[in-house]
Parts: sequence; C-alpha cells; structure tokens
Amino acid sequence: MFLTESEQQISAEYQCQGYIIRPVADLSALLWIREQFICLIQDALELIPDEQPDVLLNTIHERVSSANLNAFRLKIIRGINSLDNFRSMYFRVAQPYLETLVGNELSMQLRVNLSIQLPGDDSSLLPIHADTWSGDSPFEVVVWLPLVDCYGRKAMYLLPPEPAAQLNQEFAQRAVASSEELYQAISHQVQWLKVKYGEVLIFNQSLPHGNRVNTEPETRWSMNCRFKGVFTPYGDKKIGEFFEPITLRAVSQAGMRYHLPKL
Amino acid sequence: MILKVRGYIFSRSFMGERVPQHVQNLVIRDYCNRHNLHYLLSATEYAMKGCHLMLEQVLNELPELDGVVAYSLFQLPEETSARQRLYDKVIQLNKQFHFAVEGLQMNDCQECDRIETLWRVRQTLPFCQTF
Repeated sequence: MFLTESEQQISAEYQCQGYIIRPVADLSALLWIREQFICLIQDALELIPDEQPDVLLNTIHERVSSANLNAFRLKIIRGINSLDNFRSMYFRVAQPYLETLVGNELSMQLRVNLSIQLPGDDSSLLPIHADTWSGDSPFEVVVWLPLVDCYGRKAMYLLPPEPAAQLNQEFAQRAVASSEELYQAISHQVQWLKVKYGEVLIFNQSLPHGNRVNTEPETRWSMNCRFKGVFTPYGDKKIGEFFEPITLRAVSQAGMRYHLPKL
Repeated sequence: MILKVRGYIFSRSFMGERVPQHVQNLVIRDYCNRHNLHYLLSATEYAMKGCHLMLEQVLNELPELDGVVAYSLFQLPEETSARQRLYDKVIQLNKQFHFAVEGLQMNDCQECDRIETLWRVRQTLPFCQTF
C-alpha cells in the first residue's frame, strides 16, 4: 500500500476500533453550521438572541417538551437541509478523514439527519442495530457531528469489531430476542464514544450501535450523514434516491462519457 | 379514539419488487392519514433473505398497539404456516393488520381468506404463460 504514515495510522485506528474521533477539519464550517442551527431555533421558538449557543443547545429541554420534540426536530431539520451550503459545509468538517478512509470520489447522503435527545426522554431512542441489517451497504461510513459536548449517556455507543464479529456469527440465535434483550446481552462489551463539540466521529455503520435514555443533565444535539465511494457497491440506499456524488473527478467524468467509435 | 399503529417496511426486495424505504414510509403515512390512524415510526425488516425478525418483534409489541400497517401484504412470510400464525395472533389479540399499498385490512378470518387467495394467485403467476 502506498499510503502515507498518517493515512496508515488513521486507517489502522478505524479498522481496529471501528471508528475515529478527530478535530473537525474546517472549524469555520462547523461554526457556520452551528450558527444556522441557532438562527433556526430562535425562529422556531421565537426567542430573542441573548444566550450563548452552547447554553441554548444544552438547555433546550427547558423550552421544548418531549411531546413537542418531534415536530420541533422536523422543523429544524427541514430548515437546515434547505440551506444551499449546508451539505458542502458538513462535508468540509470531515473531508480529509473521508478521503483517507473512503476515497476521494464520494457519494453523500442527500439529507443529513438530526438527533435531539432530551434528558430522561425515551421517545427518540435508537435501539441497537447495524445500518447494514436494514439494507445499507457495508461500504458506507457515518459522519457523526455533535453540536454540543457528548459524554456518558448523552453520547452513542458502538460494539467494537471483535465482539461484533462474534455477534454476526451467532446472529440467527441471538437476534431472535428483542432489541432490548440483545442490548443487555452485549452491554458490557459496547463502547460509549465521548465526542466533544469541535470534534467529528466517523464510524463503521455495519457495527451494532445505538443510544439509551440520556441520563445526563444536558440535551444532546448531533447530526449524522452517510458517505461512500461513488463506484463502490450500493445497498438498498441507492444513488439518486438516497446518495448523490459530490466529488467526481475529471477522469471518471470523461470515462463515463466515453463511447468507442462506431464502425 | 385514534388507533396507534406501527409501520412495517422492507429493506430488501419482495416477490421481485423493490420499493425505496422512504417511499414505503410515504405510502404508509398517507394510508394512516386517510384512515385516521396514529402512525408510529416504521420497523424496518432486516436485509437478510427470508428474515422476519423485525416482524416478530412488532408482533411481540402488538399488545401495546392497536395494529400494524405493512407497506404490502407480500412482505408477509412466504410460508403459509408462518402467515397463519400471524393471522391467528392478530385475531386472538383483537388487533388490526393493514396493508397500505393494497388498501386492505385484516382482523377476522374472512379477511385472512381473502389475503390468502391473493397470496396463492401471486405465487402461481410466475408459472403462468406471459405474453
């Protein structure tokens, strides 16, 4: 392999742990994203801008009830996804890491997802799952970007590659149980991922992962978005309906347009 | 009273058909709106061939629900006995099982027969001559 030393290091870390956590590659892009969120929140809740962004985000449970959370989340996610530059900014926070781990011709999910987890709220939980179990290609990674510091049960968990391979082997026997029973069976093996604001997590979505009730006193805000190589196999999430190429290179463009001369 | 129903979609093709997951959800959501049902986020069946583990989990959850809305009746298990077990459970618990794209609802033996007839025809069609 002709990878540089730093590329080898990041690749080995991803393969060994199933994820990497790094400082965002473009801080101005992250600041832009958070600023857009703050504007959307102020607009949705008719607030006067007088609070620090991290305070507003971390204490949003004081303003949004569990019953109103999904409607609020949908309003924010629709707003953010409608901004022309948003996906480009999102890509920029992880670009060099994606280029090392995935490649430099990338497809990106069309809509970035948003997770808001209020303290003590059980309405927005993601039970243990691997994205591949529901049709995602194993050639995808998830770029997970928090808008606040995520720690303890405010964060997400991931089952590392070794126990995940074991679970895969025993899947037929173990997956008959409910998601909760499955989680309880592997809870001692999962790793809780501490990701601070200003960092980005890239993880292997074919490893089982999820979240639990946020027992920390602050609200979690995180986004997630899938990336894959343009020319790697697609699963049930297809090109056009779910993914779109974002960094096609000139030679691929030329190759795709090329036709042998007709005789 | 608005009935609470769990959506059920596929992440693989079924009977030679493939429908994007977000389209399956749109059809279910529209069906629920038209039938005044409170739609709960869909369970997505695993991608492994022949797998119905998520359906089993939804059926385990059935006592706390009023019913299930699957995208299509052809997402039910292909084995007749497995489908019969599902019908029995739904009827025994006095719940509803809806099929959004076909616009069908099952909560009694008569409806089960109707659905089974559709299944038998669908399974026979590949052996019929086509033009």
